[in-house]
Amino acid sequence: MAFPVEEKHGFLVVLLHGDVDLSKSPAARKVILNCLKKRRHVMVDLAAVDYIDSSGVASLVEGFQYARSNDLEFALVGVSEAAMNVLRLARLDQVFRIHASLDELPDGGD
Amino acid sequence: MMSAQPNHSRDSVIEVSNLVTYYGRHKVLDDVSLDVASGEIMVIMGGSGSGKSTLLRYLLGLHRADSGVVRLFGRDINTLNSREWMGLRRRMGVAFQGGALFNSMTVGENVRMPLREHTRLDENTMRIMSRMKLEVVNLAGFEHLMPSQLSGGMLKRAALARALVMDPALLFFDEPSAGLDPVVAADLDNLILRIRDAMRVSIVVVTHELESAFKIADRITVLDQGRILMTGTVDEVRNSDIARVRNLLSRTCDEQLVDTDDYLQRLTGGTD
Amino acid sequence: MVTEMQAARLRTFTERIGREFVIGVEDFGHGALLLAESLFWILLGRWWQQPVRLRAMVREMMEIGVMAIPVLSILAFANGAMMAMQGIYTLREFGAESQVISGIATSVTREFGVLIASIVVAGRSGSAIAARIGTMQMAQEIDALRVMGVAPVRYLVSPILVASLLMMPTLTILSNLMAILGGGVISIMELHISLGTYFDRVLSVLEPGDLWQGLSKSLVFGVLITLIATGNGFNASGGAEGLGRATTRSVVLCISAIVVADMMFTFFLII
Repeated sequence: MAFPVEEKHGFLVVLLHGDVDLSKSPAARKVILNCLKKRRHVMVDLAAVDYIDSSGVASLVEGFQYARSNDLEFALVGVSEAAMNVLRLARLDQVFRIHASLDELPDGGD
Repeated sequence: MMSAQPNHSRDSVIEVSNLVTYYGRHKVLDDVSLDVASGEIMVIMGGSGSGKSTLLRYLLGLHRADSGVVRLFGRDINTLNSREWMGLRRRMGVAFQGGALFNSMTVGENVRMPLREHTRLDENTMRIMSRMKLEVVNLAGFEHLMPSQLSGGMLKRAALARALVMDPALLFFDEPSAGLDPVVAADLDNLILRIRDAMRVSIVVVTHELESAFKIADRITVLDQGRILMTGTVDEVRNSDIARVRNLLSRTCDEQLVDTDDYLQRLTGGTD
Repeated sequence: MVTEMQAARLRTFTERIGREFVIGVEDFGHGALLLAESLFWILLGRWWQQPVRLRAMVREMMEIGVMAIPVLSILAFANGAMMAMQGIYTLREFGAESQVISGIATSVTREFGVLIASIVVAGRSGSAIAARIGTMQMAQEIDALRVMGVAPVRYLVSPILVASLLMMPTLTILSNLMAILGGGVISIMELHISLGTYFDRVLSVLEPGDLWQGLSKSLVFGVLITLIATGNGFNASGGAEGLGRATTRSVVLCISAIVVADMMFTFFLII
C-alpha cells in the first residue's frame, strides 16, 4: 500500500490516508524519509486519515527530526480533531508546524 | 438466565455474565455480571477482600472461570485459541498495582517490550514511540533509569506508559492511587481522563479509593464480598439507598460496621 | 478415649503423608509439563512468532556456565587431590598405590566430575533462578508477561533449558580435567612420577564409554536443575519469607534430585 506524493508550492506533499497504524506506518515512514532524502521540503497531508496511532505519529516525528537536522521544511496539513488529540496528548501539537490547509501556504522558499 | 444478561445492543468491549469463581472451596466471586461500553471509564470499587482484584484477574484471562462467561471485544475468552488470544492481548494494556516492570530492564526497554515482542517496527520508530508515551505520563528523560530507581508514583506512570505503548483499545489500571500521596494520586486521575479523551480507549480501573473513583468514573461497579451491590453512574452510587453501599461510602470516616450475628458466628462457630 | 486420640493422631499423620505424596506427584507432573512446554517453544517458537531469543540464551549461558568456572575449578581440583590422597593412603597397605591413577580416572569421568559440576550449578543457579522467577511472580511480572501475550515459559524457562543443556556437558569436561589434574599433583608428589607419565596412564585407562557416562548424566542433571529451579520460582508465594523458602527448597531439591538420579544411573549402567 503506497502513499502518493504530489508536488505543490515547492513542497513534496505526502498524502496519507485510511488507518495509519502499526501495519501501515512503516510504509508512511519510508515515503516521508525518501522525500526528505531528495533534499526537498515535505508536507504531510493528513486530511484523508481516519485514524493514526503512535507508530504513525512516531514516523512523523522521525521525518520532522530528519528535516530539521538537514535544514528542510517539514509541516503537517489537514490534521483532524482525532489526530490532533493524539498529538496534543504528547504535547506534539506545540512541536510540529501545523497548517489548516494546503491553499493558505506561502510558497516554500528555498 | 437471559434476564441477568447485560444489554448486548450497546457497543461493549467487556461483557461478564454470571461469573462464579472459587479459591479452593471458598467462593470468591458470586454471580458477577457487568459490561463496559466502548470509550467509558468503568471503576470497579470495593474494599479489600471484596473480590475486585480477583475479578480483574478473570477479566485479564489469567484464570478460567468456574462458571459464567467473560467476553472481550465480543469474544468468549474461553473459546479462544492461543493465537486469537494473542491478537486480543495486543489490543489490551494493563498497568499493574506495583508497576510490575521488569527489573532487569531500563524503563525505556520496559516500555518498548510489547513493541519488540509484537511488531517489526524500525528500532528508531520504537524508540520514538516509547519516548512519546513517557512524555504523556511525564516521565520524559527517565528512560535510562532502572525500575528500582523510581518512586512508587513514577513506577505506576511507567507501567501506564508500557500499557499504552501499543495504543490499546482497552486499558486496565489496578489501584492507580494506592500508596500515593493525594497530589500525585490526583495527577494520575487527571492523566487517566486525558488519555481516555485523546485515545478513545475504554478504561477499567480497580480501586478502593472513593475520591479517585468519583472523579474519573463514568460508571462505578460496587463489589462487596464477591457480589455486585450495584452498578451506576457516580451520582447514582452517591445517592444510593442500598445499606451496604452507604456503609462502604461512609467507611472512610466510620469504623467498619459489624454485623453482630455474623461476628459472633465467626468467633464461636463450629469447627471448619 | 486414649485409643481414639491415637487413632486421630494416626489419621492426621497418614493424611499428611498422603498430602505430601500428592504434592510430590503434582510437582512431578508440573515438571513434566514445564519440560514439554519449554521444548515446544525451543523447537516451534519461531513458527509461532514467539522465538526463544538468542540474547537471553547467551545471558543464561554466562550466568549458569561461565560464571561457575572459578568455583567449579577449585572444587574439582580439591576433590581430585583428596581422592588421590585417600586412594594412595588406602592402597599403600596393599602396596598397590600406583593403581590410584586408574581409580581416579574412571571414577572422576564417570561419577565425580559431573557430580561436582552439577552440585556447583545447583548451588549457584538453582537458588538464583528460583529467586529471580519467584521475585517476578510476586511482583506480578509473570502476569505482566502473560497479559502482554508473552508466554512466561518461553521467555524465562526455555533460555535456561538451552543454556544448561549446552553448559552442563561443558562444565563437566572442565570438572573432569581439573579433578584429574588435582589427583595428578598429589600423585606426582607421592608416587614420584612425572605429570606426563600420569596423563599417559590416565589416557590408557580411560575409555570413551567412561566419558559418555558422565556427559549423558550431565544433560539429565541440567534438565533437573532447570525444572526444579524454575518450578519453585513460579510457585513462590508469601512475600520475602516465601521467597527464601522457595530458594532453599529449590537448592535442596536440586541437589537431592541429582544425587538420587545419579545413584539410579549408576545402578543401571554398572549392574
